Amino acid sequence: MVNLTIDDKQVTAPKTATIYEAAKMNGVNIPILCHDKKLKPFGACRMCLVEVEQMKGRQIPACTTPVTEGMIIRTSTPDIVKARKMVLELLLLNHPLDCPVCDKAGDCDLQNLTYEYKVDTNRFVDEKFHHEIDYNNPLIERDMNRCVLCGKCARICDEIVSFGALTFIDRGIETKIGCEFEDGLNCEFCGSCISVCPVGSLLARPFKFKARFWSLTKQKSVCGYCGTGCNLTLGVKDNKVLTTLYDENQGFHKGQLCVRGRFGYQFINSDKRLTSPLVRRNGRLIEASWEEALEVVAARLKGGNSVAALGSSRLTNEELTLFKKLMLENVGSSNFDHSAGYAHSALTSGFARSFGTTASPASILDIQKTDLLFVIKTDSYETHPVIGFEINMAVKNRGIKLNIISDKRGKLSKLPGANTFVHKPGSEVSVLNAIAKSILDDKLAVGSVDSVQGYAELAEALKAYTPEAVSALCGLTAEDIKKIAREYASADKALILFPIGQGYVSHNQEMSCAVANLSILTGKLGKEGCGVLCMSEKNNSQGAVDMGFFPRADGMNAQQILDACKNGSVKTLFVAGENPIVSYPDKSKVTTALEAVEFLIVSELFMTETAAMADVVLPACSFAEKDGTFTSTDRRVQYVSPSIRKNSNCKTDFEIFSALISKLGGQTPVSSSLLFSEISSNTDGYAGMTHVSLRKESAFASVNVKPKLIVPKASAAVSSEPGKLAMVTGSALYHSGTLSQFGEGPMHVCPEAYVEMSRKDAANLKIHDKDIVTVSSPTGSLKLNVKVTARIPEGLVFVPYHFSAAPVNAIWDGAPVTMVSLTK
Amino acid sequence: MNPITPIINGLAITLKHLFMKPVTLQYPDERPKVAARFRGLHALNVSHNKAKCVACYLCPTVCPAKCITVEAGEDANHDKFASKYEIDMLRCIFCGYCVEACPVDAIRMTGEFELANYHREDFIYNKERLLEKK
Ligand code: SF4
Ligand code: SF4
Ligand code: SF4
Ligand code: SF4
Ligand code: SF4
Ligand code: FES
Repeated sequence: MVNLTIDDKQVTAPKTATIYEAAKMNGVNIPILCHDKKLKPFGACRMCLVEVEQMKGRQIPACTTPVTEGMIIRTSTPDIVKARKMVLELLLLNHPLDCPVCDKAGDCDLQNLTYEYKVDTNRFVDEKFHHEIDYNNPLIERDMNRCVLCGKCARICDEIVSFGALTFIDRGIETKIGCEFEDGLNCEFCGSCISVCPVGSLLARPFKFKARFWSLTKQKSVCGYCGTGCNLTLGVKDNKVLTTLYDENQGFHKGQLCVRGRFGYQFINSDKRLTSPLVRRNGRLIEASWEEALEVVAARLKGGNSVAALGSSRLTNEELTLFKKLMLENVGSSNFDHSAGYAHSALTSGFARSFGTTASPASILDIQKTDLLFVIKTDSYETHPVIGFEINMAVKNRGIKLNIISDKRGKLSKLPGANTFVHKPGSEVSVLNAIAKSILDDKLAVGSVDSVQGYAELAEALKAYTPEAVSALCGLTAEDIKKIAREYASADKALILFPIGQGYVSHNQEMSCAVANLSILTGKLGKEGCGVLCMSEKNNSQGAVDMGFFPRADGMNAQQILDACKNGSVKTLFVAGENPIVSYPDKSKVTTALEAVEFLIVSELFMTETAAMADVVLPACSFAEKDGTFTSTDRRVQYVSPSIRKNSNCKTDFEIFSALISKLGGQTPVSSSLLFSEISSNTDGYAGMTHVSLRKESAFASVNVKPKLIVPKASAAVSSEPGKLAMVTGSALYHSGTLSQFGEGPMHVCPEAYVEMSRKDAANLKIHDKDIVTVSSPTGSLKLNVKVTARIPEGLVFVPYHFSAAPVNAIWDGAPVTMVSLTK
Repeated sequence: MNPITPIINGLAITLKHLFMKPVTLQYPDERPKVAARFRGLHALNVSHNKAKCVACYLCPTVCPAKCITVEAGEDANHDKFASKYEIDMLRCIFCGYCVEACPVDAIRMTGEFELANYHREDFIYNKERLLEKK
């Protein structure tokens, strides 16, 4: 700490602070335009000028100058005010003064400062800028005439997003922010640049002219897409969510969002939302009253074990618990599951065996505290973009080492110093086993490891996985494998990350055990910056696991439920929020099962493919219309309150399940907060949490690890077939599950499925970018657009899974790797 | 005082008024002369055959009676215009703040004061009705 004087006040500040930070900490506000606490100091605008006595009264920028002992600082002498006025005058000289038609007005730093400093005349005259406005993309408008050249957009895009779409181009008065070759913006559309722009140069087009900043009610919420659990501020007017707003103090991510979180909110107020219960009569779905619909449903639920349920991991913890109660206590069936029955297996059966718990022994915060990040699949960026930002910052700002094993390269591979080891698809477990073997062989394991349960069996089983043997089938060299093992084991702290989800079949219980083994063998567990983070797919995937919404020993899993629908042993199926026809593997199997089942109940926001087949459809509510808790991938439990009033004819799933419980003669919970008290008293790690405490601040559910070494079984290598390519599926950056199809933002930039392939294969098959090809597998064929990219290795194609219009499950039966042929 | 005097005085005043110009306006046969700064019905100013209003939302923000509804639209040139502009004359208190707030001189108040109508909905003046008539 250093002592200094700010405006005649004796204060202290940390040695690393800048004058700006020291002042802020002590309640003195210095105006800024180009500074952002998330970015490195830059010093471009000179708004933050202060006087330091030791520097002979010279005016220096507060945002870039570090404090020193005994500094005497004055932040608002008449000279400084004059200087700041001058800065503003010069900025306004070329500025178009578009405030009446500028969406930034009301939230504009330049406007606010101009008002505060009463700059109502200008001593200078000059021409205004005449830059062309960039309307080339549907999400971000770039009007460089309003730019004050603070550089924040370019810096955030580089330092945090690591895309580098924007930079200063030209010199002197001509300087502007531009994209490569002065072209239109074409990037990943995370909107980070919009959030930091102090003026109206960068604006969100979906919100353009919709409302004024001051007329919006700001509602805090939690993103409803992926498991990262980012916090959101929704801008609400007239009971409609019109936009997302930036709050730099929100969440671990300091307000950063990805394209889905920022631009994918339109599903909430979509015209396509269901607004009335529908009951099938004479083959057609007809509007009905709630009473009627629930009566029919309740009658059908009285079937004991012939009733099964598929839930969605987008429901709240309270809803999932109630759904489970309904099934177990009132219906009398233990057949319930979510996420196709396998997407959670890394937790529910992998970590359950290896760590004795169904949660990850690491948090997102560990990313910045580790020395080495070991990422499995470059897709980690696409599945959880804001965790991706954390990785970017760790690597770029802290010099944390990054090793990746993946079946394709990706955005993470481009980070400085990142090593991407591209292996053959489907060989993850073998590679991880070979790394474990190499750790044992090179004596890199911690000394006490032989006392861990299962050590002998593992050591024995790993004999088959020498790096040499595995290298033959996985495509990495033995030296690569040894190097990964060496670096992982010798790092002081190391963290492993891997995504799970419906598109990542191979990220199953075997792989999570193989990953857990590495951390147990090297003792990288239970310490800050160490452990394994299994990145769960949807906003409440971890919660669904914590609530135990997966089959116990006596219940059927999702795949068995579908089989049982087909063979008639399940007669009633209740699907809440899932769209298995699009998101589960093997479309024809799912369709046959749903056709075969006698009675299908679907509670949904939209008329999905699955809802269209139902006998009863119940209109449910989105995350913005209900209260409850979501548990993020690192077990941060967050409370959401309704941001808008729901349509009076929709019910939350909580209300639907409650109503059904009472119809079946059961005891319904009084409120979701009371139910949550019950949850917190009997869920591991949730003790002490209440809605009231979570409303104030989210809390981590503690994870108690009992390590055990498990022998992971590697699946047989996929043999390549001449003329065929290996297809893998997974997530596209712009989408999450099938919900994002109803978010306009994601659909603007990624409207349809595609097949991504390597240049080499494209050349061999004489296929070009944007061609339409037929992709055929043993289970079917699909017409898809081609994307030729450099990141895909030869022999591989990638098809994302989110799309109803071209569902990958028409050609994918749930195998980790499918051999397909491409024809024009 | 002589009790007759006040009566005489009163009659004198009455008599005087008989020869003065009458104050009562024979409305509607006679029309009042409206002052230049009278605050009557609003009009949206037109320039280049378009309403000048750029839908900045300042008038609905400043309006104390909250009777102005503006919705902005984006035209083919990406410019902002009022796709909806509505004033509820039943709630308007004719304070003129909207005129004062407008940064582009798009709205003014005319001398029009005859706003009576038969139906409540007829008091909602939409953009079409508010556009100045030339
Ligand atoms: S950027 Fe700010 S000052 Fe400039 S026109 Fe927009 S609101 Fe006005
Ligand atoms: S949207 Fe994101 S990726 Fe695109 S320019 Fe802005 S910060 Fe960069
Ligand atoms: S566009 Fe905005 S953020 Fe970027 S330099 Fe200009 S003013 Fe700053
Ligand atoms: S989709 Fe995931 S990463 Fe993106 S904003 Fe939402 S929670 Fe964050
Ligand atoms: S203040 Fe003027 S420009 Fe703005 S909305 Fe009202 S009439 Fe239109
Ligand atoms: S805020 Fe310090 S120079 Fe811009």
